[in-house]
Amino acid sequence: MASVSLRGVTKAWGAVKGVDDQSLEIADREFLVLLGPSGCGKTTTMRMIAGLEEPSAGDILIGERRVNDDLPKDRDIAMVFQNYGLYPHMTVRGNIAYPLKVRGTPTADIAPRVDAAAAQVELTALLDRKPKELSGGQRQRVALARAIVRTPKVFLMDEPLSNLDAKLRVSMRAELKNLSHRLQVTTVYVTHDQIEAMTLADRVAVMSEGRIVQLGSPERIYNDPETLFVASFIGSPAMNLVAGRIVDGVFSTTEGPLLTLPPSAPVRAHDQVVLGVRPEDIGVVAPGDGDIDATVFAVENTGDSVLTTIRLGAETLVARSDRYLKTVIDERIGLRCSPDHLYLFDGPGGKRLR
Amino acid sequence: MIGGRARRRLLEAGQVVAILAFIAIMLVPILWIALAAFKRHVDVYQLKLVFTPTFENFARVFAEPYDLGTKLFNSTIVATVTVLIAIPIATAAAYAFSRFRLRGQTLLLVVILATQFVPAVVIVLPFFLMFRDLGLLDTLTGLVIVNLAIVMPFAVWMIKGFIDGIPVDTEEAALVDGSSRLQVIRNIVLPMAAPGLVTAGIFCFIIAWNEFLFALILTSREAVTLPIGLALFKAEEGDLWNLMAAAGIIIMVPMFVLALLIRRHFVQGMTMGAVR
Repeated sequence: MASVSLRGVTKAWGAVKGVDDQSLEIADREFLVLLGPSGCGKTTTMRMIAGLEEPSAGDILIGERRVNDDLPKDRDIAMVFQNYGLYPHMTVRGNIAYPLKVRGTPTADIAPRVDAAAAQVELTALLDRKPKELSGGQRQRVALARAIVRTPKVFLMDEPLSNLDAKLRVSMRAELKNLSHRLQVTTVYVTHDQIEAMTLADRVAVMSEGRIVQLGSPERIYNDPETLFVASFIGSPAMNLVAGRIVDGVFSTTEGPLLTLPPSAPVRAHDQVVLGVRPEDIGVVAPGDGDIDATVFAVENTGDSVLTTIRLGAETLVARSDRYLKTVIDERIGLRCSPDHLYLFDGPGGKRLR
Repeated sequence: MIGGRARRRLLEAGQVVAILAFIAIMLVPILWIALAAFKRHVDVYQLKLVFTPTFENFARVFAEPYDLGTKLFNSTIVATVTVLIAIPIATAAAYAFSRFRLRGQTLLLVVILATQFVPAVVIVLPFFLMFRDLGLLDTLTGLVIVNLAIVMPFAVWMIKGFIDGIPVDTEEAALVDGSSRLQVIRNIVLPMAAPGLVTAGIFCFIIAWNEFLFALILTSREAVTLPIGLALFKAEEGDLWNLMAAAGIIIMVPMFVLALLIRRHFVQGMTMGAVR
């Protein structure tokens, strides 16, 4: 077990910077999720920690030891790959045993440890099969068992759930959470799925264009986004974002005044601003009772809630209400925005206005 | 108008006829050779299927002056040693080409193949002069060297294709799991590429086994191979087709046996790239 530190780490391919002067301290036993859209540098960051990619600049430390020049095998890590990276010519047992075997573990010790690791992920019955005889979820378990058969300093997981179907993903997510709780090993987890990030992480690092744009607890990332990018990336359905201007505490779009900001609003006047409000922070009320009156554009019942979409000129707003809401298309409704949950971002830069 | 179904039938029938014709074109000569090998000289030109079979041809080709036994031995040594040297070296080269980014990689790969664009007839004379000076004329060593030059480009390209088909993830997993690069190659890449290596090996063996032109020019007495032995049967008393056919069978049979023995690997290797 160990902490992981990145200090000014850069990865460049010619003029293209995959990871740009990144620093990050991951505490011992922490579960850190690197979250971002594809191409944001999250996988490259992880691969540099693994030693599969060489940083162009900066230092990587595992524990107190600088590992830049260490081969992957000397870093005492275990990694779970998106495509599992199983050895197709070996049985499940052979796959799980491989890290022990190749590191020269005495033969007598291997079998019990393989059995124990397989039991942890409920693979005991499948030990003599080949990977091609397994389902996607079972392959994933083999990859996990292979990672936990040793007790490495750090677990690295590169989108381990993204090849599973939706239902399996949810159940594997819970298993991962349970496993990481039991093992207490420092874990770096890469995903583009914000739900995985929210559910698994102690801390989430949201990445964009090779940099971490916000680092914090899942709650913090969700409730207190620092930039427009983070606000728009986290949450499903995404946060409603409306561009406009603020004059005398009134937010207007090109269509006209929309909303009177509460006294707690950080600015009273701003020329280019983006107003953000999460769908669950918009209540659907009778016309005239809310901040805005509008016509229903679409109603979607997702089972556990109802999404009401309205159009305001070019902008679209979505409100999430409980599942008993009954509205129909073209109905006039009122929308009430929760004043404590309005976010304002500086238009051009996307920085949160506080 | 022909209905859709009738038309499809007709098309299918046409396909079958075409395939049968193709097979016939491929197999009839082999069948002719197979029959001729068991015929007496006088029967060879008669296209009858019923004749008194004789093994005399096989006895004669192994006896003086033809002495096919030595040539069989030479061919076996040359082809086997060529494969044993070519496959490991080609695998190493193919792995490097497949997995590492090298300066001028594409150019190098094309250059390797380009050595095969030069017609053999053009370079056989320089080879002759070079081998004469090096004392390699009419030696098995010399033939192995020549055959290596012929098969290596194919082997590198073929094996590179197979290694390309192995997911990099698998190798990286092994690196992280604690393997050195050499351990990755030994424990992961070689077992996974095995069908491909066998396929490439067979391919090289066949090329070396059948190589004619270089063997014809570069050998005279000691290192003569089977295909050159065949030419001996064009004698003054005419083409000894029955003997040539018997020798032809001796050249072909090892290929068939080899193909049968490793059929499983061969098919696996041929389809490996396709079923990813």
